Amino acid sequence: MNWHVVKRQLNGWAVLSFLAILFIVLPGVVVLVELFAPVNENWQHIQEYLLPRYVRNTLFIMIATGALTTIIGTSLAWFVTVYDFPLRRFFKWALILPLAIPPYIGAYTYHGILNYTGVIQTTLRNEFGITVDQAYFNIMSIQGTVFIFTLFLYPYIYTITRAFLHNQSSSMIENARILGRGSWDIFFTVVIPISRVAVIGGVSLVLMEVLNDYGVVKYFGIQTFSTAIFSTWFGMKDTSSALKLAGTLMILVIAILTMERLVRGRKQFSYASTKVKPLKPRPLHGWQRYVVFAYVALVFAVAFIIPFTQLAAWTFLTFDTVFTAAFWQLVWNTVRVALIATIIILLFALIIANYTRLFPSNMTRVISKVTTLGYSIPGAAIAIAVITLFLWLDAKVLDVALALDLGQTFVFRTTLIMLIFAYVIRFLAIGFNSIESGFEKVGKSFTEASRMLGWNTVQTFFRVDIPMIKGAIMSAFILVFIDIMKELPLTLFLQPFNFSTLATQAFKYVSDEKIHEAALASIVIVLMSGLLIFVFHKVLDKEAD
Amino acid sequence: MFVQINDLHFSYKGAHEETIKGFSISITKGEIVSLLGDSGSGKSTILRLIAGLEMPNQGVVVVNDCVCCDDCQFMPPEQRGVGMVFQDYALFPHMTVEKNIRFGLHKLSRKERNERVEEMLALVNLTEFRHRYPYELSGGQQQRVALARALAPKPSLLILDEPFSNLDTSLQHRIRDDLRRLLKQTGTTTIFVTHDEEDAEALADRIVYLGEGKIKKQVMTENNKTFNPQIPCFV
Amino acid sequence: MNKKYAALGLSAAMTTSLLAACASTEDATPENGSDSTEVVNVYSSRHYDVDQELYKQFEEETGIQVNVVEGKSDELLERLNTEGDNTEADLFITSDAGNLYQAKEAGHLQAVDSDVLASNIPEKYRDVDNEWFGLTKRARVIVYSKDRVNPEDLSTYEALTEDQWNGKVLVRPSENMYNISLLASFIEVNGAEEAKEWAKGLVNNMARDPKGNDRDQAKAVVAGEGDVAIMNTYYLGLMLNSEDSEEKKVAEQLGVFFPNQETTGTHVNISGIAMTKASKHTDNAKKLMEFMSNPSAQEKFAGVNYEYPVNEAVEPNELLQSWGEFKEQDINLSTLGENQQEAIRIFNEAGWK
Repeated sequence: MNWHVVKRQLNGWAVLSFLAILFIVLPGVVVLVELFAPVNENWQHIQEYLLPRYVRNTLFIMIATGALTTIIGTSLAWFVTVYDFPLRRFFKWALILPLAIPPYIGAYTYHGILNYTGVIQTTLRNEFGITVDQAYFNIMSIQGTVFIFTLFLYPYIYTITRAFLHNQSSSMIENARILGRGSWDIFFTVVIPISRVAVIGGVSLVLMEVLNDYGVVKYFGIQTFSTAIFSTWFGMKDTSSALKLAGTLMILVIAILTMERLVRGRKQFSYASTKVKPLKPRPLHGWQRYVVFAYVALVFAVAFIIPFTQLAAWTFLTFDTVFTAAFWQLVWNTVRVALIATIIILLFALIIANYTRLFPSNMTRVISKVTTLGYSIPGAAIAIAVITLFLWLDAKVLDVALALDLGQTFVFRTTLIMLIFAYVIRFLAIGFNSIESGFEKVGKSFTEASRMLGWNTVQTFFRVDIPMIKGAIMSAFILVFIDIMKELPLTLFLQPFNFSTLATQAFKYVSDEKIHEAALASIVIVLMSGLLIFVFHKVLDKEAD
Repeated sequence: MFVQINDLHFSYKGAHEETIKGFSISITKGEIVSLLGDSGSGKSTILRLIAGLEMPNQGVVVVNDCVCCDDCQFMPPEQRGVGMVFQDYALFPHMTVEKNIRFGLHKLSRKERNERVEEMLALVNLTEFRHRYPYELSGGQQQRVALARALAPKPSLLILDEPFSNLDTSLQHRIRDDLRRLLKQTGTTTIFVTHDEEDAEALADRIVYLGEGKIKKQVMTENNKTFNPQIPCFV
Repeated sequence: MNKKYAALGLSAAMTTSLLAACASTEDATPENGSDSTEVVNVYSSRHYDVDQELYKQFEEETGIQVNVVEGKSDELLERLNTEGDNTEADLFITSDAGNLYQAKEAGHLQAVDSDVLASNIPEKYRDVDNEWFGLTKRARVIVYSKDRVNPEDLSTYEALTEDQWNGKVLVRPSENMYNISLLASFIEVNGAEEAKEWAKGLVNNMARDPKGNDRDQAKAVVAGEGDVAIMNTYYLGLMLNSEDSEEKKVAEQLGVFFPNQETTGTHVNISGIAMTKASKHTDNAKKLMEFMSNPSAQEKFAGVNYEYPVNEAVEPNELLQSWGEFKEQDINLSTLGENQQEAIRIFNEAGWK
């Protein structure tokens, strides 16, 4: 290799990308090192008494949630794309809304609805004198966990599959129709096989959410991998074993991601032709119309209307005690921290994505893989790594201050920087994925055209690349912002003094067993996420046109 | 020679065999050269190497006395003064026709820039379409915008990648005549790639046949012998 | 060349946004080592609105600003563990003696010598080395269905493992700190063997797999899933005073029974306060500790959550008084921490989910 090859690889894009990657790798390394550390006696105990149950529960939840979200997500996408029925245009985006309800909020809301003093049992008891068997109304079970995850995570599959069907399959579906195949037939023989890749992409997102969830399983008392990590860490005070569990989880997630990549293979989600012909929905007649409408409406009601209404009712019940001037501070805190972290994530994501795209090599391929790994590192491991790093950093700052006799020192750990840093590690993958796919969709020729017209990579980046992927940046922004707003374990563990967010406030009330008081903070999260999802939908629609 | 390429070698990452195995060519100022070959013959790759979009394993590219690339330096594409028309035109969809053409003129003063844009719009006959966006144009119009955009900064060399592949046949015939007139009118040295021998014969002064990364033969076209008032004969 | 400048520009932009991030948090950031403002930094696992009121009152009386990180006990403790001597926290407020013991064992705490604390807080609820101090007491009792259970049939925690209660006992999952400390106290009182037998016996008598929180156990009793439940008294107090009339109705159908009155006494845990070894504002921290132990603060601090104040000069809330006085387990509260790990193992081995 000529030396100018090396020079070409070592530019500003590369340096900044390496820096960003370093942050991400750090907690991963902490986890992996611990994975190979010698086991202690706790580990024996965990292996003998806990691991089998953790694995069984985790696998059951993953398989059941994966199957149910696939069925609901793809069937909804199919109905909404292919048929015309009452309120179709509304449902098209409304069906994404359950994503605005974080599963842990959904979990305690449903428990509140279904339990002995909940609205259903109370009404039955007081109005009709019926006392029901509690076993039928028990949501705090492994089946209940699957139910909650399915309701609030199916939109991942629904959105991806719908976009795919909408843009890619019209000719195939129309051909199949002309060839006289029935709808049912087409769904199984054409739609499922061709949208396989999209569905698997969605399922892998669902599974990662499930694996990393802490709120739902903790609240329902279901022992899974993620509760195991925290109870080993906090309960048994055994950081080493906790990290071992985290490492095992991480390998599981990497396996899922690799499988997804393998299936996806060369089949990228880019548009084969620039002329996308959207499918024209076919009107349904007679009873079919109502059956489809009823199904879609039922899913929407159960996954959004019912929990939302319940939260609203509780909010009215407790509004006077919960709504204080400090509440605005909470909203402001939430928005501010999410905004800052999101902007930093987008900057990093843009730089890394542009670097890996402009200078393809084995190195950049590794970098883009590593970026997506951030998502697979369990929250607990990120927390440990980040706090360790900042302890070191603060010590260094103190050393310097003492050496220079500055007296007063700046302590990073008392600021939001530590928390924001952790968010960046956790959520960079999400921002990166949407921006990378935005770049993929646009291709490289516009960038090359700009360079042929005399602009360098940086000028091109601002004048051409960014405007071209505006839509992708916007969706990345919304996805990351919502995720940060909902985030729980990292915020709880790394919050600075006098800092609470809506999510931690809701969680505090819930852990004090004050579910009604948690409603206001929860409903604000849901409303803000809902609004952003609406915007997201509009962006996607505009992109598709 | 105006364009001088010596012993160019190139292989894509992970490929065992070189795509380009020792390609050399000299081109005089104002000449139109066509690279003709089947898909996989490496013709588009040569264009990308000249443009600076790919880095050769070895070899020298000199355009207009400026060493774009040899064993110890590699000039990035934006500094080469080479214009390119892409196969899919790559018109910026977020800019109007006028803004697309103006895009490469940042080195000129505002006044010069305006003049040049008017000139180019007139040249390709698109003055009344100046405020349209690319998707509001027909395929032929898009191609003309792409050409105007590439020619606007007065590149020392223009390269075109399969310029007719996205046009239907009748349009293709008309446009290639227009294109030749335009290139000769502006005296632009041009290399273009095609897989269609008819295109090559109609447009080029010289046809270079490519196969397996090497030049198979070179032929002067009728154009060169009959109608070539502006450039001196170099054979 | 250009590229490099642009890269520099980009990194500068990022640094700026980071700086903006810290600048915007300045208002919420304690100024360390600064003489101008007096502060005290608290890690607290209590998050009641009344706590905020008390902090505010303290600020007004002393001019010392109270900065708080609210979190769950175990998370805050782990944060102390990780931060070690570099922690910014001066005080640690948590709801379990086991956690306080853990913090002491890990060497995070320091002794506080204060006459005020000594006179306000009985010796029993202080650490032997004065490294932590109890603020409130909470009793873990048996609640029963007034309709179906005759309280005379109830006697001890141990008796709940008898055949009579087969399929009738409700209790929350074992990962909960209150359960861990309960079992830890049994290890202390009865020995590990008997504690394990008890855990196994109770698992055997459970009405259902352990799930939910303490309130859920109360509801399950009323719903008829089981007859008795082990829970903390203050949840019943909160339910009786709930805004939700249905919760109130549930609580009214339940009776409170203090077990082991003839034998070893009812299990009592505390929430408490401790000063960190690394505290940079020891005087301020001590003032806040003393403030919290004063009768006026004690009344509010314990009262709002239906807990028993440790300061004997303060009467418990009326509701608590109506349940009567009871005999407490007579153990050193530090043992709850000492036996914590063993308790967790026993739960796992007994199959208590």
